[in-house]
Amino acid sequence: MTSAPLVLGIETSCDETGVALVRAHPDRSELVGEAVASSVDEHARFGGIIPEIASRAHLEAMGPTLRRALEDAGASLEDVDAIAVTAGPGLVGPLTVGASAAKALAVALDVPLYGVNHVIGPAAVGELVHGLFPVRLMALVVSGGHTTLLRVEDVVTGVTELGSTLDDAAGEAFDKVGRLLGLPYPGGPHVDRLAREGDPRAIRFPRGLTAAKDQERHAYDFSFSGLKTAVARWVEAREDAGEEVPLADVAASFADAVADVLVAKTIAACEREGIDTLVVGGGFSANSQLRELAAERCAAAGVTLRIPPLRFCTDNGAMIAALGAAAVRRGVAPSPLELPVDSSMPLELVTL
Amino acid sequence: MRGTLSGVAVLAIDTSAAVAVSLCDDDGALLAARRVDSQREHAELLAPMVRDVLAEAGLAPADLVAVVAGTGPAPFTGLRAGLVTARMIALAREVPLHGVSALDALAAQVLLADDAASASRGAVPADDAASGGDLAGAGRASEVLVVTDARRREVYAARFRVADGDVVAVAGPFVDKPDVVAERAAGAVVVGAGAALYPEVFPEARGPLVPDPAVLARLAITRASRGADQPAEPLYLRRPDVTPAAGRKRATA
Repeated sequence: MTSAPLVLGIETSCDETGVALVRAHPDRSELVGEAVASSVDEHARFGGIIPEIASRAHLEAMGPTLRRALEDAGASLEDVDAIAVTAGPGLVGPLTVGASAAKALAVALDVPLYGVNHVIGPAAVGELVHGLFPVRLMALVVSGGHTTLLRVEDVVTGVTELGSTLDDAAGEAFDKVGRLLGLPYPGGPHVDRLAREGDPRAIRFPRGLTAAKDQERHAYDFSFSGLKTAVARWVEAREDAGEEVPLADVAASFADAVADVLVAKTIAACEREGIDTLVVGGGFSANSQLRELAAERCAAAGVTLRIPPLRFCTDNGAMIAALGAAAVRRGVAPSPLELPVDSSMPLELVTL
Repeated sequence: MRGTLSGVAVLAIDTSAAVAVSLCDDDGALLAARRVDSQREHAELLAPMVRDVLAEAGLAPADLVAVVAGTGPAPFTGLRAGLVTARMIALAREVPLHGVSALDALAAQVLLADDAASASRGAVPADDAASGGDLAGAGRASEVLVVTDARRREVYAARFRVADGDVVAVAGPFVDKPDVVAERAAGAVVVGAGAALYPEVFPEARGPLVPDPAVLARLAITRASRGADQPAEPLYLRRPDVTPAAGRKRATA
């Protein structure tokens, strides 16, 4: 009996070293093992990711994380049939470590290599949870680095970028507002927690690119920079007046503005494109306001929502292995060993 | 080059000066080599070079008995590409992994070259023009100061002497300004691309000289046979550049 191909996925585009093994069955993708190491704590005191610190951590973590993933899967490298790796977009130093590791394994094991797109990963990871995708779906990928709306006809060969943020990513805006409110880095989870204690309707912050005049050119785009500035101005005005800043209300109202814009524009896009399935993925899909609002409004609009469990929200190898498994299942040509890393890899390119 | 029927090969990778890969037999004799003089595109170049040296020697990855990684010191991104490549191949083939500094290799290319030429089982045969062709005058030196380019108007350096058929660092490795490093030069032959970059500081320097991964392999084989621990850890010698987050900026004036 021959078993379905086993795909090893490696993700190193930012500060998480992710390794996972996914079996590409004809009718489903099965996660059989995974491990993640993160250098996030080493960056906290700098208030942002330091690429060189992340790169050094990737080099040290690669071997141990690979071993842990194999152990978790009860597999050995000899069992691996294909390697998938994040080719971009991301930080060049970290991407170089992952790509070099993946290529070395591909040569040493004599198996095909698939360089895949990091941004499509959070959409593809849904196939591990909810089963293989229907023919057409909308994917909203939201993280500290991306806020992107994708129309997915086929997760490997038919991804179209409909729009993305013109300035800050949603998670980035959360980190910046977190800093403004004196919360630790990364601010996202802290703002989220604080927001749950406040009134989301206490302050009416602006909704970027939702005005009628923006719909012609930016119906599918996002903007969070103005919102972040509006929050800063509001907080500063209170401070200057010697008044106490209601931190929880600020956090709740800001979080509500972000979730409202993301969900409203995404559902409008689904309606315009005639798509009835929405996948939300990426680090910011862990945000509780976004999850709640998306569930509520998708139900009202008759859109099936697929949002992965929290453990798949941060960067991980599973999403890359899932995308690799999708490529293997379709018989897509592997990438050449000369595959470059591309820090600004175009979103419509799923494999290189 | 010679064919090997029952394959036994040592793969060595160095990314400190060029992107260079050598395949040797377990006596250190060269089977195949590739070198691209680039300080970029390590992630693109390395794996195809490994594939190509194996193909040229008519060997498969399963024929590898050890992997040797150049540990620098070197610019970080390329150094890591070489190290992680070596580590993953060793892991996948379940063979020993050895680390050797590029400075050690350069020192051996100078100090051990003459010995090797006359010895039957030389640690470092000078079979590559880059490993010592223009260093005839340096043959009888007892100590060598190896100086490589660290960019930012600094150099990496270490001073070596020969002991028991190997090179041993008596100072370094360190990274510093060329004139500070030059204070260690007294009585030693000075070699390396870093010295050639600063002729006003190192007027007597020989070179340029590029680390030969085959020499890394031979040093590693010799040291492994003596039971030496050879960790494949990067010699960064510098802390990461970090820009601590600025304090909160006001949005309103």
